[in-house]
Amino acid sequence: MTALKFRIAAWLMRHRILAWIFFVLATAFFAAGLPRVQLKTIFSDLLPADDPYVQVYQDHPNFGSPLTLTLMIENKNGDIYNPTSLQKVWDLTREIDLAPGVDHDQILSLASSKARFIEATPYGIDVRPLMDDKVPQTPDEIAEFKERVERSPNANTFLVAKDGSAAIVTATFIERLLDYGDIFKYATSLIEKHSDDEHVIHMAGQPALTGWVYHLEGQMFWIFGVTLSALVLFLVLYMKNVVGVITPIVTSAVAAIWGFGLTGWIGAPIEPLLMIVPLLLVARSFSHCVQFVERYYEIYEQVHDKGKAAELTMGVMLAPSVLGILTDAFGILLISVAPIPAMERFAYFCGFWAISMIPTGVVLISLMLAALPKPSNIDKLVSGKNGGMGAQAILHKILLGIASLSSRRHAKKTGVVISILAVFSIYTALQIKIGNPVEGSNLLWPNSEFNTAVSEINSRFPGVNTLEIILESKDPGGEVRVARQAETVAAMLGLQSLLESSDQAPRASLSFADYMSEGNRLFSGGNPKWLPLDSNDRATNAAANAVMMGSSAKAFSHVTDFEQQHATVSFWYKDNKQETVDAALAAANAAVEKVGRDHDEFSVRLGTGTIALQQATNNVVSRYHWIIIGLLNLFIFVSCSYAYRTPVAALMLMIPVNLSTFMLNATMHLLGIGLDINSLMVAAIGVGVGIDYGIYLLSRICEEFDVDDHDIEGALTRALTTTGKAILFTASIMLVSIVPWYFLADLKFMADMGLLLTLIMLVNMALALIVLPLLVMLIRPKFLYRHDLLVGEKLDLDVLKAANTSLNELIESDAAESRKVVC
Amino acid sequence: MHIRKYDFNYGRRSLLKKAALGASAGVLAPLFPLIARADDPAKAYPEELTSIEMLTKGKVKVGDVINANNVEYVKDLMDPITYMQIKDMGRELELVAPITDASKLFGHDMFEATIKNAGKAGLDKDGNVIVAATGEPWIGGMPFPDAKSGLEATANLTLSWGRNNFSLYAIRDWDIDPEGNVTYQYDFPWAELNATARVGSDGPYLEGKKDYLRYQSVWFTAPNDVAGTSFLNTWHYDQRKFPNLVGYLPAFRRVRTFPTNQRFEPLVPGISFFLSDAWSAGDPMLTWGNYKIVERKPFLGAIGNNWDGKLENWEKPVHGGPKGQSFFRTRVQLIPEVLVVDAEPTGYPRAPVGKKRTYIDVRNQMVVDYVTYDRRGDAWRKGEPSFGQFVDGDKVFKDGSGNTAWSFTHVQFHDVQNNRISRFSQTKEITGGYKSRHYQGDEDVYNKYLTSAAMQRLGQV
Repeated sequence: MTALKFRIAAWLMRHRILAWIFFVLATAFFAAGLPRVQLKTIFSDLLPADDPYVQVYQDHPNFGSPLTLTLMIENKNGDIYNPTSLQKVWDLTREIDLAPGVDHDQILSLASSKARFIEATPYGIDVRPLMDDKVPQTPDEIAEFKERVERSPNANTFLVAKDGSAAIVTATFIERLLDYGDIFKYATSLIEKHSDDEHVIHMAGQPALTGWVYHLEGQMFWIFGVTLSALVLFLVLYMKNVVGVITPIVTSAVAAIWGFGLTGWIGAPIEPLLMIVPLLLVARSFSHCVQFVERYYEIYEQVHDKGKAAELTMGVMLAPSVLGILTDAFGILLISVAPIPAMERFAYFCGFWAISMIPTGVVLISLMLAALPKPSNIDKLVSGKNGGMGAQAILHKILLGIASLSSRRHAKKTGVVISILAVFSIYTALQIKIGNPVEGSNLLWPNSEFNTAVSEINSRFPGVNTLEIILESKDPGGEVRVARQAETVAAMLGLQSLLESSDQAPRASLSFADYMSEGNRLFSGGNPKWLPLDSNDRATNAAANAVMMGSSAKAFSHVTDFEQQHATVSFWYKDNKQETVDAALAAANAAVEKVGRDHDEFSVRLGTGTIALQQATNNVVSRYHWIIIGLLNLFIFVSCSYAYRTPVAALMLMIPVNLSTFMLNATMHLLGIGLDINSLMVAAIGVGVGIDYGIYLLSRICEEFDVDDHDIEGALTRALTTTGKAILFTASIMLVSIVPWYFLADLKFMADMGLLLTLIMLVNMALALIVLPLLVMLIRPKFLYRHDLLVGEKLDLDVLKAANTSLNELIESDAAESRKVVC
Repeated sequence: MHIRKYDFNYGRRSLLKKAALGASAGVLAPLFPLIARADDPAKAYPEELTSIEMLTKGKVKVGDVINANNVEYVKDLMDPITYMQIKDMGRELELVAPITDASKLFGHDMFEATIKNAGKAGLDKDGNVIVAATGEPWIGGMPFPDAKSGLEATANLTLSWGRNNFSLYAIRDWDIDPEGNVTYQYDFPWAELNATARVGSDGPYLEGKKDYLRYQSVWFTAPNDVAGTSFLNTWHYDQRKFPNLVGYLPAFRRVRTFPTNQRFEPLVPGISFFLSDAWSAGDPMLTWGNYKIVERKPFLGAIGNNWDGKLENWEKPVHGGPKGQSFFRTRVQLIPEVLVVDAEPTGYPRAPVGKKRTYIDVRNQMVVDYVTYDRRGDAWRKGEPSFGQFVDGDKVFKDGSGNTAWSFTHVQFHDVQNNRISRFSQTKEITGGYKSRHYQGDEDVYNKYLTSAAMQRLGQV
């Protein structure tokens, strides 16, 4: 096997021109795909596709008003019943109609013509807009207007706050014409224009949230720029030579071109929110390159021939690099197990990118090392007997300290401490809760403008935490308009009645039946005794005609679809805390059971809305968190058992990475953070990163153990001060680069990812450097003595240098040695 | 050898120049005298404006079907939405030869009244159409057969929508969703009775109704769940006043009054037709403003040959769209000159419409197409009627006087922002036994179809 790796390395170096041509052509091919790359947020793709709630949402995307923008005008010093405030409501209503992609039929406010005041008169039913053709100015006009509003139940609940302090303007957009960025820009300009000392305007709704995310993406890319610059800067400061800086940059860039180019060619949009992962891949690529280059320096120092050094480095590093990168890639690919379309696409894209780090981070880097000028500061970089100088010396001392923790003298004490820590971490980690409910969106900070707006709207209006129970027609193309049939109406009213009398009653509920009842009352003369509908199709059809006469079906799209086939019953809850969500869903399930799921013409489906979708996200986390970690462990177990020829090595490698996961979860729990989609991704990536460190370090330990005549303590020290230094350096620069995310990002999602990634990498690094050597010291595994390990390279550079042995001779002698071991 | 008297773009240049000058229709000669003689209107234009073949330099000719493959050649002869329908939605238009007898562009009585009363109309200080000599309401026929302003052209449309004193259209409607499915289908009679501006021997005014322009009603007869729902629209002669609109729901036996300026919403769910859409003059003309002729140009319009009297119930074949049923078959001809008139809904402080652009055939001053734009200036909705004499080969449908009927045959509305289409066909008969007709006869149609009591009676199901 060893011979094969060196043969591959030798062949590639003999055919450098061919290899260069391949890389140039492949990179050109993928680069041609770059112009087709689309960065696009599709919120529905962030939801788990196989979840029943999400399936209801996908089947009925228009219920729950996902395309509705809500503006709340608040008078800070009184109520809105004054000419100035009402003028603002009028102006905003008219001006939001100028927003790009707005559905002109679906703008609603106290000033819109659709907000109507209905009166039963002796001559019939008189329907007029709440606000006449101009804003009321005089006290009498305002008093009359206020009276109309107070006598209009829907306006009084949904368009003006109970205390009159605020009014709502809603605008629904046409999905096909929707550009979230444009809408956001336009709506914020309106807010700026109409806000003053007395009035504050809040903006909420899915278009606003997406608009904020788009708006902050600019900042996100700026922070990414800072991160990349920091990575390069650290690299320059650490390497202080051209080779050490250029090779990681070029190889990482080529891998990035391949990754992005592929998505361009296959036309899969990339979710910008998840761009953190590619950035991490760049950092991982840097990390692998640094490991590789460090090893090259060591070999070059011995052989003084950059071509030969590059070839030997490739031979030596091929197996650990491939194994390390494969675990990275597998960690990322496993994210696709969770059935979230955006993440699936992303996992494939990043997985391919990660895999492309094998040719670039093993072959291309070797070609470059052979071609670029020889490094001039080798002596300083290679921490030989004196540990180098400056930062190198400091790192060396730190690593000697870490190595001493695994020494014969301290190993048992360290083991006890680690064990106590492990027990505590596992226990604490198992207490972690699923989900991170916040008022508004977890993508943004609690005090962000959006979440503040949601909070303000929730405090004055039924709010945004809705649960929708869908009454789904069995024959949507049929002639019978199911939403207006008596049985459907009875189900709507039944659900409302049951949930409103439940322990955790909603703040408000609404269905098409409410409009029909009101229509029935008014057209029957106005007396409240006519509110109840007769339970026959003729009566419910008549009531439906009463409310829809002279209206677009779209005016009722929040309660029934355009064809009046499917309908929803909406419930508004005070918050989206898990207790509320659990109680709401339990009550809803009970109500649905009681009303019956299956009817002749429709089925009752629970449900959609923010409450149900939040639960769906939580469900996917609880379902897949351990599955992903388990599968990743299985992969590591199989691949490492093969590479090290024993399951013992695999188990030794798995202990620190899994302990890292537990420690991360324990820390999150202590910080009050629950498990969510972000932590799902971080855990998968974290295991991939952690195992890298372990593989590099364990491989080096094996090598040093052999070179140092089976002196285990010396081997550990030597491994930690060489490969450990590279681990410490790469982990440190990644940490320093990612930590600013937490402080700079207005996108909480990014900050959370930054925090979690920092934590997992810190823990992974520490455990790789402490726990793995400790395990080696305590277990003294037999595989250390073997010569046939896939990743444990037995390359005696001193011998090579002294004898000036050619690589072929080395291969022959190595093969003979292997045969001897086998015999 | 064919010798052309004028260079190729002479006609278009002349039309362009005239749009700014407020001149008469016609390029080589005034058009109206030819119309009055029932002559060939083509004589007023150079050949390039009367021959599609010449206009497109031989790329398209009469008998061709305009589809996605050749629409580029005639792109400037249609509105942008029609172009999109053909290019992207599989719509087709059949090209027929232009009408050569001007009288066939009108119903008999309307043609006679127009000739008879030509030159007698004027606008009073408020903008209403009057008999210039007496100040009385208009006496029938087109008041401005050679309209020179946007308001005059709109007056021609507004004062008599259907160009008959009384019409009862038996309309079958299909409403198509963005996926091409028919999601609603309604049958409704549409009755309209002019109280003033009447033609023929009945006299110009209905007795005691001089203050009114028209009565118009709609009542739904199918499907069952809306059957009986009805609306009555009473138009004042004074075009500054909003019509009174009431609705009737049979189940409650109650009349509902609507806000008078509620003109931009459908009568029943599913239809992409607003009251404001009727003949592109669905609102009193002085509730709109800033009328302006922005262009005169040749155009493709359905102004004849579209009555399919030989087909079952006169219902036209359909095609195009995702399910092959979005558009009626429509035959268009080259109209040498249309007025392109812009107007704004100045009397509607809450109108979602920013501008309406109407294309009016100068020969009969009838709308052949219109597009409304939202307040951002984006195209929103299109209405495309088709008119003509009711002649299909040897089959002819007559009015009450034995003359060939002239009316609209079908009309299609397209809300391009929501991509919903409504198709209305004037059929022979619809549910409830109502048949299309275009004359009053001796029947008391007012009391039968056009009063609140009539609505209540007709709404009984």
